[in-house]
Amino acid sequence: MSFKLGVDVGGTFTDLILFDEENGRQIRAKTPSTPSDPSVGVLAGIEKICRSANISPGDIAQIMHGTTVATNAVLEGKGAKVGLITTQGFKQILHLARSWTPGPLAGWMIMEKPDPPAAIEYTREAIERIDTRGQVVTPLDEDALRTDLQDLGVQGIEALTISLINSYANQSHEKRVKEIAHEVLPNTPITASSEVLPEFREYERALTAVMNSYVRPKVAQYMRSFADQLTAHGLKAAVNILRSDAGLMTLRMAQERPVYAVMSGPAGGVAGALYIAKKAGFPHLLTLDMGGTSTDVALCQDGSQTISRETTLGYFPIKVPSVDVRSIGAGGGSIAHVPEITSALRVGPQSAGAAPGPASYGQGGTEPTVTDANVVLGHLPPNLLGGEMTLDTEAAHTAVERIGKNLGLDVYQTAQGILDIVNENMHGALRLVSVQRGYDPRNFALAAFGGAGPLHANAVAKLIGAFPVIVPPAPGILCAMGDVCCDYREEFSRTVFRTLDQITAPEVIEILEGLSAEATGWLEQEGISRQQQRIFYNADMRYFRQGYELPMTTTLHELQTNGTAALAEQFHALHEQLYRFRLDAECEIVNLRAVALGTGTTLHWPEGETDGPSAAHAQVDEHRIYFDGDFLTTPIYDRAKLKPGNRLPGPAIVTEMDSTTVVLPGFSGEIDTYGNILIQPTAQ
Amino acid sequence: MRDVKIAEIPDIEVDPVTLDIIESALKNYRYEMDAVLFRTAMSPVIREQHDEFPMICDPNGRMVVGQFGSYIREMMERFDQPLYPGDVILLNDPYLCGGAISHINDFLVLVPVFDGDELIGWTSMFGHQMDVGGPLPGSFPTNATSIFGEGLRIPPVKLFEKGELNQAVLDLILNNVRIPMMNRSDLMGIVAGCKTAEQRVRELCERFGRDIYLAACQALLDRTYRAVQTLIQRNIPTEPQSFEDYIDDDGLGNGPFKMKLTIWREDDKAIFDWTGTDPQAVGPINFYLNPGMFKMFIGVYLIMVYDPQILFNDGFYDLIDARMPDGSLLHPKFPAPLGCRTHALARLFDVMGGCLGQQSPELTTAAGYGTSPHLLYSGNDKDDNFFFIMEIGYGGIPGRPIGDGMDGHSWWPLFTNIPTEYLESYCPLRVDRYSSVIDSGGAGLHRGGNGIDKWYTFLEPGEIAIHDDRWLTPPWGILGGKPGMRSTKILVHTDGTRTVLPSKCDQIKVEPGDQLIFQTAGGGGWGDPLERDIEKVRVDVVRELVSVKKAASDYGVVCDSETSEVDEDATQALRQRMKESRGELQTFDFGPPLQELLARCKEETGLEPPTAPSLPPGWETNGVKKVAA
Repeated sequence: MSFKLGVDVGGTFTDLILFDEENGRQIRAKTPSTPSDPSVGVLAGIEKICRSANISPGDIAQIMHGTTVATNAVLEGKGAKVGLITTQGFKQILHLARSWTPGPLAGWMIMEKPDPPAAIEYTREAIERIDTRGQVVTPLDEDALRTDLQDLGVQGIEALTISLINSYANQSHEKRVKEIAHEVLPNTPITASSEVLPEFREYERALTAVMNSYVRPKVAQYMRSFADQLTAHGLKAAVNILRSDAGLMTLRMAQERPVYAVMSGPAGGVAGALYIAKKAGFPHLLTLDMGGTSTDVALCQDGSQTISRETTLGYFPIKVPSVDVRSIGAGGGSIAHVPEITSALRVGPQSAGAAPGPASYGQGGTEPTVTDANVVLGHLPPNLLGGEMTLDTEAAHTAVERIGKNLGLDVYQTAQGILDIVNENMHGALRLVSVQRGYDPRNFALAAFGGAGPLHANAVAKLIGAFPVIVPPAPGILCAMGDVCCDYREEFSRTVFRTLDQITAPEVIEILEGLSAEATGWLEQEGISRQQQRIFYNADMRYFRQGYELPMTTTLHELQTNGTAALAEQFHALHEQLYRFRLDAECEIVNLRAVALGTGTTLHWPEGETDGPSAAHAQVDEHRIYFDGDFLTTPIYDRAKLKPGNRLPGPAIVTEMDSTTVVLPGFSGEIDTYGNILIQPTAQ
Repeated sequence: MRDVKIAEIPDIEVDPVTLDIIESALKNYRYEMDAVLFRTAMSPVIREQHDEFPMICDPNGRMVVGQFGSYIREMMERFDQPLYPGDVILLNDPYLCGGAISHINDFLVLVPVFDGDELIGWTSMFGHQMDVGGPLPGSFPTNATSIFGEGLRIPPVKLFEKGELNQAVLDLILNNVRIPMMNRSDLMGIVAGCKTAEQRVRELCERFGRDIYLAACQALLDRTYRAVQTLIQRNIPTEPQSFEDYIDDDGLGNGPFKMKLTIWREDDKAIFDWTGTDPQAVGPINFYLNPGMFKMFIGVYLIMVYDPQILFNDGFYDLIDARMPDGSLLHPKFPAPLGCRTHALARLFDVMGGCLGQQSPELTTAAGYGTSPHLLYSGNDKDDNFFFIMEIGYGGIPGRPIGDGMDGHSWWPLFTNIPTEYLESYCPLRVDRYSSVIDSGGAGLHRGGNGIDKWYTFLEPGEIAIHDDRWLTPPWGILGGKPGMRSTKILVHTDGTRTVLPSKCDQIKVEPGDQLIFQTAGGGGWGDPLERDIEKVRVDVVRELVSVKKAASDYGVVCDSETSEVDEDATQALRQRMKESRGELQTFDFGPPLQELLARCKEETGLEPPTAPSLPPGWETNGVKKVAA
């Protein structure tokens, strides 16, 4: 028997999905999260899901785990006490940051700058210096370093980071500092910046490496506790952690480089959506993951996620490869308000969160939220099917009506206004990942998930023109599902800084082959079979003197045949697509990279039996619902009863355990063979 | 502007939700303009430091979203040419656009947005070019005495007409600059940003209908009008209030130059009057201030101080009457040099803050590092290739109502520093220290930020230039807060000798191994330092942001010089003594009187004091007594 388990730990719920690799059977479970020790909730979930599947926990061969332990440590400022070794003269590197203050003019007046993850008092300067070409200017003073390290030990640091100027060009000093630190502080986890991010720009490299240290003890503790609990419960499964770039890493790697997992949660969602959309025949995809406090959007093309070189966590830019997810502070719990001086209707960024929650949850919330607007308009029926909660329609009305008075709008117009604004904000985020990068959203489908995504997806798709809307089965637990279908992934890169007249194709090939050897070594070490190994190559390029690179995909064969000219042409063309002009300037290679992939096993995905177009058998209720100024009688369907081929002419509402889907008038839903709801404009 | 049909703004109501949607869409487009430029620009000044400003305007050229206020209306009145879809206008001459841009380094691009044959709006952006020709790299010599001595002046010209590039104009420009590819890339990046926004505005019109879009622009302007009207009513008194502050020198040994502002309200209207400001300088520190832009500064300042959620735009211009005396530092006569106007631009905010601060000091801030310190370094390397770098430095942010001023941060919105690893890989220099200057932030309940302490070692023979200020008059503190420390620039030669460099200088020869120690000014403190939380003082001492000595002398906190531990009893006693012995707290603390600063100038700074500028013929000082050096 071979079972694979996907686990996603969210703020409120822990979602699990179990795949039987032999017959494609899927079993889902949801348990409350246990923030003090998330592994407790996970184990409870595993027991629950094993009972439902009627298997023993020992039958699970592999666990794929998306975790927000690292993310939360950063966002809540509850990471480790980190010591930092910098180059002499750069003690305040994190304190001064990039000197950035927000706009507009005088925006600094209201800036709130969080403390850096390594305090100045735990930062020590190593007497050493390497120049931009990697030459040693000042040799490392090892005696002074030892004294400083001993002192940091006395201060009680819990993790250590080494980040020296120009270490991307020559790692030798960082390596030596690390050796000495291991001697002096044998029990302290150590991160060297050139291991985590061998690329230039010292602040970002130092910050990324310090973030790794900052989350490391917490992640390690969690991993240990998780592994112990698994053993105690008789599990022998291999455990993998999902990275921010939707690749899997081993438990050992996750403990060493936890910073790679800071965007693990959103990455799982995108991976799950992409997997399902590809099955359904839509390799070009926009994703919309709307939760209680925020919404994440991403773009996938040709069946692949867009991987960005950097992500942002709160105030901090972190340079780790990540699924390029844009996050906006708009979710079901976002509060609508009308500021006195402008009398404008604003939605968010304040959120009612889990407590007190939206007014309609009846837990003491009185501020009108996006959820309340959905309740007022009837998009969220008061009795959620499978839900354990009845929504307080009255309270939602009162809350929304109150702010409407300040605008001279009735309660329905106000509620519609709240939805229009929040939809527009999501539209704006989707534009950033599509139109702004030169992609036409009309060539993309839109996958909606998260608790609130399917409520808003049809309206958002209407704004941006991306169809069909794909609502996968159980959209609330898509992240867990995504964890299961990811590949192993690791990157090996080198900064080169050469214009194309300064480097030959054979030189590029030689570097890539070196990186490839490292990549293969890693794949072997991770125990990935030859058939599952894949390596592809990137060259990050820009015009000489530009500051930002565009990643080109290349192959050794292409370089052997066409030389570097092909890279140049690819770069010129992409630059023109993105920015509308090309220059007759030297192209520069900044980084060369080998990406190692160990492909996961293909999942069998069951196809349902096709039924006729009528969905009458699935209708459980009807409701008067407000759409753009009119009340329309709208059928409510039970998702579980819908079968492939059933059609849902809008307006329609589909409810299931953790989500509600709205099909607007003028649109029509259809169940495909995989159980997805596909929403398209109704043909005229 | 000829033969252009300007779209009428329809008098229709836009529902509040549509209005908010259009507002957030326009805000997004403005950031999209930035993003396009940052990713394509080559000069570090734009792409690393972000010295660029985008905006989107209505058909009449009024800014609906953006940063610096619109200049289009006045400019278009002078532009006597027909305008077509696909046109792109370029200029950089401040004297030909009423000061919309204030030195020739800023390339300003305007793109008219058409719907059919009707003009429905403008998108525009300007960005600082690292070089625009003239006698010295950087194109703002500190010793220029006319704008002809600065660099290439471009009047409004069509860089594109009906979508076709005007190659002759581009060739002419690129032939006059030192690194043509850089100007080309930065300029095309600016054009790309504007064209992106043009496309977005057209899409918005398609989506909502042109009439709704235009009416929404008007409504957004009206909304800001009403908000600023309220702010003026509440915060500007009818009784005139004055404030004055100084620019230390003009680069030619003259100074200090006084900037004086008087503010009062007559009914709905606020009057901002610069009478009493010194006449224009011989050197290039003049600031040809566009009245519209000044009104924008006022508006944004009021908004940031009193209600930061308001979208600011040009809607409120009629509410403000801005008066700048002809021939003054803020309204110089052509062809006065303008290159180094950044000091006056920054001081303007200090003066405005001080003036408004008299009404409600608890809501405003102290003075910051008060300029935009620049370092320029150029020469030919071993392979005889020309190199040139310009870096904008930052300093101490003033103490603020919400907390301490940041150490070594940018006063200019969205600017960032240049990474050391970038500087070193593109330029023959090494950065040996990048830190903040201990004790340079003025003491206060909320401490002023420390200035930047940056040490550059030059690796090739070449020349450097420096633009800085606040070396003579310190940034003031407020509500009992102390002034910040002044700036210094010292060149340490390989033989160990030290040369104190003036704040504004050019063509200083450097040899390999010479080291420049560039320390920018700190910010002034906010509130009574004797009330500052003792633990905060201790942490500042541990972090070497404040010395043990200053903790005692300015904060009354007694720390152990080894362990930094606080002696609570000694601290209480010291604070008590200090409170009793000091006089009543003043709203503003400027440090020693100007006379005293000038008298001790040589001794304290190592530099000769500036000479009081001579009055041009016919220039009366309006009864304001000038300070003799």
